[in-house]
Amino acid sequence: MSTDAVAITGFVALFLLMLLRVPVGMAMGLVGVCGFGYLTGFTPALKLVGQTSMRTVTDYTFGVIPMFLLMGTFVSHSGMSRDLFRAANGFVGHLRGGLGIATVAACGGFAAICGSSVATAATFSAVAYPEMRRFGYPQSFATGVIAAGGTLGAMLPPSTVLAVYGIITEQDIGKLFMAGIIPGLLAMTMYMITIALIGYLRPGFLPAGKQTPWRDSFAALKDIWAPVLLFIFVIGGLYGLPYLPRFTPTEAGGVGATGAFLIGVLTGRLDREKILASLLQATRTAAAVFTVLIGALIFGYFLTVTQTPQKVTEFLTGLGLGSYGVLAVIMVMYLVLGCLMDAMAMIILTVPIIFPVVSQLGFDPIWFGVIIVMTVELGLIHPPVGMNVFVIKSVVKDVSFTTIFKGVLPFVATDIIRLIILIAFPLLATWLPQQMMAR
Amino acid sequence: MTRHSMDRFIDTIEWIAAAFVGLVALDIFVSVLLRNLFNYAIPDSFDIGRMLLGILIFWGIAATSYRGAHITVDLVWGNVSPRYQRWIDVFATLVLLFVVTVQTWTLFDKVRGTYRDNVTTFDMHMPTWPFFAVAWIGDVSAVLLIAIRTYRLVFHPEDMHDPKLKATE
Amino acid sequence: QEKTFELKISHWVPASHPLQKSLEDWAAAVEKASGGTIKSRVFPAQQLGKAFDHYDMARDGIADVTYVNPGYQPGRFPIMGAGELPFLMSDAKGGSMGLDAWYRKYAEKEMKDVKFCLAFVHTPSSLHTRTKKVVVPDDIKGMKIRPADATIANFVTQLGGTNVQSSAPEVRDIIERGVADGVFFPAGSLVLFGVDKVTKFHIDAPMYVTTFVFVINKDKYNEMSERQKKAVDDNCNTEAAGRVGEFWGKFEDAGIDKVKAQSGQDVYALTPEQVALWKKASEPLIKTWGDGVRKTGVDPDAALTELRASLAKYNALTP
Ligand code: NA
Ligand code: NA
Repeated sequence: MSTDAVAITGFVALFLLMLLRVPVGMAMGLVGVCGFGYLTGFTPALKLVGQTSMRTVTDYTFGVIPMFLLMGTFVSHSGMSRDLFRAANGFVGHLRGGLGIATVAACGGFAAICGSSVATAATFSAVAYPEMRRFGYPQSFATGVIAAGGTLGAMLPPSTVLAVYGIITEQDIGKLFMAGIIPGLLAMTMYMITIALIGYLRPGFLPAGKQTPWRDSFAALKDIWAPVLLFIFVIGGLYGLPYLPRFTPTEAGGVGATGAFLIGVLTGRLDREKILASLLQATRTAAAVFTVLIGALIFGYFLTVTQTPQKVTEFLTGLGLGSYGVLAVIMVMYLVLGCLMDAMAMIILTVPIIFPVVSQLGFDPIWFGVIIVMTVELGLIHPPVGMNVFVIKSVVKDVSFTTIFKGVLPFVATDIIRLIILIAFPLLATWLPQQMMAR
Repeated sequence: MTRHSMDRFIDTIEWIAAAFVGLVALDIFVSVLLRNLFNYAIPDSFDIGRMLLGILIFWGIAATSYRGAHITVDLVWGNVSPRYQRWIDVFATLVLLFVVTVQTWTLFDKVRGTYRDNVTTFDMHMPTWPFFAVAWIGDVSAVLLIAIRTYRLVFHPEDMHDPKLKATE
Repeated sequence: QEKTFELKISHWVPASHPLQKSLEDWAAAVEKASGGTIKSRVFPAQQLGKAFDHYDMARDGIADVTYVNPGYQPGRFPIMGAGELPFLMSDAKGGSMGLDAWYRKYAEKEMKDVKFCLAFVHTPSSLHTRTKKVVVPDDIKGMKIRPADATIANFVTQLGGTNVQSSAPEVRDIIERGVADGVFFPAGSLVLFGVDKVTKFHIDAPMYVTTFVFVINKDKYNEMSERQKKAVDDNCNTEAAGRVGEFWGKFEDAGIDKVKAQSGQDVYALTPEQVALWKKASEPLIKTWGDGVRKTGVDPDAALTELRASLAKYNALTP
């Protein structure tokens, strides 16, 4: 077999195994070892397994993943989401669609201390959905808002997916986090405008909540000191705000996790059971992510030997589509893949192949990180399959997929417009990290 | 092994992994604190931190594998009847068992190499192989747990309780 | 009838690094000498494995030829550690040739599970710091330093500093964030990785070098015909080591001039008295090194004397 045929066979086998629900990382590792063994010999291929596994799990920079995961689970379990929602609701709840706007705002606040899109969606399915239903919001709208709002978790720093992108492409994770801030805020604003527009265009579709007295609105603000403090400390330390200690990304995660733990314990919101649940959940997810990382590395070595990344680059750049044409092709591919797998698996599997293309075309790697995360997150909510939609369905039992997707559609449209804006004005993503460089 | 002791064994492994996550966070927090307050760096905190990370991940993989909490593609699985779902689960678990067994075997080689080659930490010149060995034991428990999972899937599917919410990101 | 080979050559620095060209040149020379029967492909930037694993990769056949920093794994290659002793070498080319000529017989013992090709060093390099000007060894006390290798790490510990580890691309980040106060780094790489943007004080003295080797998978080598083996051997010798060391050295040496040309940088030489203090402070390292070597059954005093003589022969011994 030619190396091309081996590579293609490898991909086919990989997708078959994945469709048969073999864990993504294990499938990549298995196919990678078989392919590498076929081309180079099975003794080296087996050595590759032990070497790659051990090296990956003991890589200090990868510590950023479990640490931000742990921060996220402590934060989720200490009920900060409820405070955020109450505070946002106090200001906008009385508007038409106000509870939806409050949900987006609270998702944004939560996203600033939690790195996961799925966790954000899960949290607000429990916190905001019952409220919206109580005030007579349609099911489709309520779940749609939460699915979309959840994606802020990966957009605004901290972001596990962006961290993994940084690890794979050897880009500065701190800068990637900074690059996500303005696009994340833009996403929040655009979601809110979308909700206001829906309320305006379809009178009677969205009700208004009750008016909160201004005094109470401001009083609720004091309950959100904990997330604000955590955000300033962690992201400020990463950015290098004056008077704050400066952290590397891994340290920011570790300090954030410890901080969230301390706040939770001191305010009496994290009991023994919740602490243990947080630790367990972070461990499971970290192990799941590392499994994919190890598998992807092995699969990557196999692809290296077959020269696949170079060939894909040559092929895509030789199409004569121009750099933006190739970018469009890549993004369509991600939207299709979004029907198959979750954000993390998609990033880990594809970025090693796509990143050389993007570098070759001269795109900014930090900017591309933001673009790719936006595209992948769009995959989490667009029909026919989307991880955030699954998560909401698992929390909100009595809702159909069709209903959720119907509610999500306006936000999918918003996301596509936002993608176009980000592609037209890359400075929206690159400006903040450049400021960080300058000092 | 009786059902009860199997469950106890699984829980213990999961708790060990969870404890290591906390330890890694603590190691980082204390390092940052000492650096910023006393300008002091703990010798070998880097090497120890990364080796604890390795331990936590391998022990975590054991738990994650047992719970069926790996990242998977559920497109086909979600659209077939429970009968076929079970067949798919059995197949996937068998592949998982095979892969992790091979991984554990090759990792033993790696641990032995670390011992034989006398690799030490940077600051205090501690041998690194004991850390690697502890991580490796985590992978051994993964093989055991996946074997238990396979057994239960085939013979006692009622004993399986995969978490509702899978681990993602 | 000779077999044809396509060797996988693996290294872990970016393709823009001078080492890429050195390896390409090496491959071209081998191909020519073998009458075109040994072709190669160079895989840069850890495409086939992480930096730390490159020795094992050649041993296990994951790659056929690899570039290794033996100092990455403290305790594993004790004899080679001699090359890392401070204030030993004064020149990249001569240092590489002196080290290579000396190490050949020890490689048979210390790197026996691979075919040793050649050993070389980067140019004599020094310490770069952010806020504190380091002039004498005592200045290191209380500082957090990113060491270049295991020997420098020992040095830092002995002087009362602590080591902060990181990969080369992260050095800028950890200094900028105050995780480390300084770094032992060659000057060209300092500029390449942007570390010059976050450091201000630069010692201009041949404080240390880092040692490297090219190694080859043994089975691959043994499969070759006599003519092919000769083609490889003719490019695995002291002259070849000198070529690699010289080419990289020029790149690094150009770096210090770039730093000097920047405003606000303090590049300073050490007085003979200060150098004497540093040398004296580094003497315990010779003993530590010797203890490690003695365990392998080699007489460290004799080995070091030989190394000094070899370096002197190639005009690269620091006076
Ligand atoms: Na976030
Ligand atoms: Na989708």
